Amino acid sequence: MKGKIIKLLGIFLLFNILMGSAAATLNVIVVTDPSGQDPNGFAGGSMSFAQNMFQSTFILSKEHHFTILSGGEGEAVPRLMAIVDAINILKNGGTAQEAASAASGYPGIRIMCGGPGRGAAVGGSFDAYVVIVEDDGTIKVTPYSGGLAVLPPGKKGAIIHLRNTHGNPMYGTASSVRKEVAIKIGKMIRDGYPATVIVSEVFKDVAKNAGEKYGGGAVNVASGVTTGDMFTPANLNETGYPMDQPYAKVCPHCGWSAGYPTAENYQVCPLDGTPLKTIYAYDALRDAITVSESAISVSVYGSDEAGVIQTTREIVKATVKEEGYSEEAIAKAINDAIDNGLIIGVNYVEPKDINVKPGSRAVGVYYTPLPDDRTAPPMDLPLGSGFFEILGDIQTALGCVLLILLLFRSTLISSFRR
Amino acid sequence: MLIQVRRDTLLILLVAYILIVSGRFMTYISYASSTAEPEGVPISGIIVKGNDIVPIESIRANVAAAGFRQGSYIKGDILVTSKRSIPLDEAISNAEKFAKLSTIPGTSLTPIVAADVKVDKKTGIVTVNVIEDFSVVEVR
Repeated sequence: MKGKIIKLLGIFLLFNILMGSAAATLNVIVVTDPSGQDPNGFAGGSMSFAQNMFQSTFILSKEHHFTILSGGEGEAVPRLMAIVDAINILKNGGTAQEAASAASGYPGIRIMCGGPGRGAAVGGSFDAYVVIVEDDGTIKVTPYSGGLAVLPPGKKGAIIHLRNTHGNPMYGTASSVRKEVAIKIGKMIRDGYPATVIVSEVFKDVAKNAGEKYGGGAVNVASGVTTGDMFTPANLNETGYPMDQPYAKVCPHCGWSAGYPTAENYQVCPLDGTPLKTIYAYDALRDAITVSESAISVSVYGSDEAGVIQTTREIVKATVKEEGYSEEAIAKAINDAIDNGLIIGVNYVEPKDINVKPGSRAVGVYYTPLPDDRTAPPMDLPLGSGFFEILGDIQTALGCVLLILLLFRSTLISSFRR
Repeated sequence: MLIQVRRDTLLILLVAYILIVSGRFMTYISYASSTAEPEGVPISGIIVKGNDIVPIESIRANVAAAGFRQGSYIKGDILVTSKRSIPLDEAISNAEKFAKLSTIPGTSLTPIVAADVKVDKKTGIVTVNVIEDFSVVEVR
């Protein structure tokens, strides 16, 4: 009887651990432009030492411009119900305060949410600092623990929640790091940094000093950009990408890049020998969510292969930086990449396949996929392919005949002599 | 030398070897330079519209699972994939069914209540229109 109870208790505990595993321990929202005019003025993100930091921990609505960051040690089902409640409230035009208070109805859950014009708020189970920066530069940092904490609409500021996950080797650092980072956020907002840059600084500091380092990811609410699955785990019950580690190496000249761990083997660009630049995960996060004046949006049609799209994007960006918005230059750079084997499975492009809009900094590349799983476009030779086929067959046949002759050489010679 | 081989034997062997290798190479060249017309219209891309919170990649992956992926092509009213050939209408209704199963990554929430898949038979572009509704979403 006793054994049975212990067994049941064990299963119950295991179940609890499995269900509560998606516990984001860093949630942060930074507002440097509460109106939403600045494309980088409203950002947020989630990170943890725990496993299963999927995109459900940093939800972004591109259409209605809000974000919902979740976490807490409660079970998965109430957490999802709280998320759905919050989404419904925000979609119907509710404020962040109303949506965050939905979390208080569910035990152990935390919802942090916000959007331009709605302010930001955190509700449920949390240890947070609310940073408010007035227009005259005074910074007010207030600690809150549980219940509801609000950054009112129209105010510049931030909310940061940070706790340590059990098992983190840096357990116990959360409260001091939370305070330091909150003060740093206040100073950075006062000094005029955009929200997206501040969020990447927060990720860097928290990953290094508090060890809550696995992505997760971040969102730029004002522009509707998310890091998506850049840093999230690939499988269930795994951790995401450590945000304080190198993420990729990039050639500043031609745009060639390689992700870690492959990048460890490269010091210079294999194509033109330029020394490579190391990009850390927090830099990659900043670049991914920051919309800059010089950013070029590249759309790729005709191929869904992730590698082709990424590589094309880098090549177009590097070409535009060097030669401006020239269709010929972009087409030439892409064809070089196809020749080098960087882009496979598509045919050569012509300048008419490149659609350039310098006014809106947009480039569209239209590929034609190659038939029957070919990797490279057909070679351009002076003689037809039928000629080579016949020539090849004749040569192969001659070679085989020679081999047979060689085998029966002595027999044949003696039969001739007879 | 363990085996006695005459020099002209070796020479003939070498010539035969070179002939076969260059013959095979020529056959490859003929394949690589052939501009064989594709058998049908290849699926060139999936455009997703109407999604707000569900990421495009999730929907795209599900539609690709229904057969609309790189390497598939449309031949008349048949969609030929790497695994099998199915009527285009069936593939489209499968794609609509699969699109509705798209989740927010890391959860079992399926907020897409309706999906409409259109295939352009000339360009091979697949357009997916979805409608998200969180007021009826089931939490299990």
